[in-house]
Amino acid sequence: MTPAISAAGLERRYRDHRALADVTFEVGTPCITGLLGRNGAGKSTLLRILAGQEFATAGRVRVFGAEPLENDTVLRRMILVRDNQTYPDLRVRHAVAAASLLYPNWDADLAGTLLDAYELPPARPIKKLSRGMRTALGLTIGLAARAELTLFDEPCAGLDGVARALFYDQLLADYAAHPRCIVLSTHLIDEAAELLDRVLVLDRGRLVLDAPADDLRGTMTSVTGQAGSVERLIAGRTTLNRCTLGTQTTAVMVGRLDDRDRELADHLRLRLERVTLQQLAGYAAEYHDRTVLTAVRTP
Amino acid sequence: MRSTPIVTVVRYLLLDRVTYLVLPWAWAAFGFVLDVVVLQLIPGGHGDDRWVGGLVAVPLVMLVVGAQSVARALPFALTLGVSRRTYFLGATALALALSVGFGLAVAIGRIVERATGGWGIGMAYFRVPHLLDGPWYLSWLTAMTVLVLMFVYGMWYGLVYRRTGLPGTTAFAAAQLGALALAALVATWAHGWTDIGHYLGTVTATGLTGVLAAVVAILLTGGFATIRRMTI
Repeated sequence: MTPAISAAGLERRYRDHRALADVTFEVGTPCITGLLGRNGAGKSTLLRILAGQEFATAGRVRVFGAEPLENDTVLRRMILVRDNQTYPDLRVRHAVAAASLLYPNWDADLAGTLLDAYELPPARPIKKLSRGMRTALGLTIGLAARAELTLFDEPCAGLDGVARALFYDQLLADYAAHPRCIVLSTHLIDEAAELLDRVLVLDRGRLVLDAPADDLRGTMTSVTGQAGSVERLIAGRTTLNRCTLGTQTTAVMVGRLDDRDRELADHLRLRLERVTLQQLAGYAAEYHDRTVLTAVRTP
Repeated sequence: MRSTPIVTVVRYLLLDRVTYLVLPWAWAAFGFVLDVVVLQLIPGGHGDDRWVGGLVAVPLVMLVVGAQSVARALPFALTLGVSRRTYFLGATALALALSVGFGLAVAIGRIVERATGGWGIGMAYFRVPHLLDGPWYLSWLTAMTVLVLMFVYGMWYGLVYRRTGLPGTTAFAAAQLGALALAALVATWAHGWTDIGHYLGTVTATGLTGVLAAVVAILLTGGFATIRRMTI
């Protein structure tokens, strides 16, 4: 089956800066993929290239098996919603009407529901909206378009906690009813972690982690306790980021724990904490050039 | 049935009705009323039509509207899965449709103006010497070509601004002024001013329309070359 997205050796250079370097991956459909990484990691550049809004310096990108650049057939099957989206001097209802003209699967009822939920007045000029309301307008359009490939670039920037929770709920509900390929680029990794089927981590333009989210959950554990006890538990295992404060040591251990490990930790009075996806993405970026991430799948 | 992508872009742009449908007509009406008031205040000669020039506002508005069509509407269209090529064709189709309408209004206005003796006050608002001459359909064609030209020229400026910002736009304008200055130098060096004056004195509205149409073709080529590598 043709993947929704396929990139091979993708590179983007801006004079002396390399925004993307040798990025290769495939994403199938239906799937919710998290595109994670720090500021300047290349997430937005990658999404813009996928949407045909930016030009790759080298490499190949395919969306639904075809080059997306200037390809109306492919472009009308996708949407890229950005946090800093530029809108024309129109009213909210006009922006919604514009999207309804262009997407065959447009759901007017869902758009109306979301406008109400985000308290977006249809008659208000877009330039009079607050940043959060503009973001909410982008989310409304992105979800109601029901594009086969929906790209969200920092979809929750400027949104309050209630609005973010609403977005995650709506996204999941709509995805369950209409499965499709959705890519979320976000800093708020842990908030979105439960939604994700797949995780891509970019660091300084390089893809440093590409794995199913389920494979990543529980692959790293933070161990805290007496230094000697910690050393006993982690003996022979790969560890990252070990630090000692007084008599207490904390080490991040790579690899899944079994029942015997947990019994031993309990016996040694060690505190075990699962490393979150946010922390894991950070470790992936920091340690990708070493062979320590044997427990997680790397590209 | 869904419309073709180019028609969809036209419909998308026409969501901003004020810019495309109200503004040019409003300026034309404002210029007309202003010219009437001015002519009422200034004593006129006997028999001669008094050319007022208020119609110039319409092509100027088309220039601004052309620039506006790519300033903010283009990035949102690209977000909604429209290709650059389709957007450019859609905006050009809209320019043509608007110009056909306004050109027809100018041609009809010219007929009415002539029939009413310049609206009863000898005003030549729609009758522009040398440019809007000849039969009604030629006036229509000429007015349409001028309006398309101004829209497309504005669009090219807007595209250059989006790609290169203020420095690039300034350089773009300076390059055109430089080209004109160079042409003037060449004309002086070749003693060509007499021939140019002769051409301008004898050129017909048909000939001028042809020249303007050629300029439209050049502007369209330049605009398309600019939008092809546009990033947002």
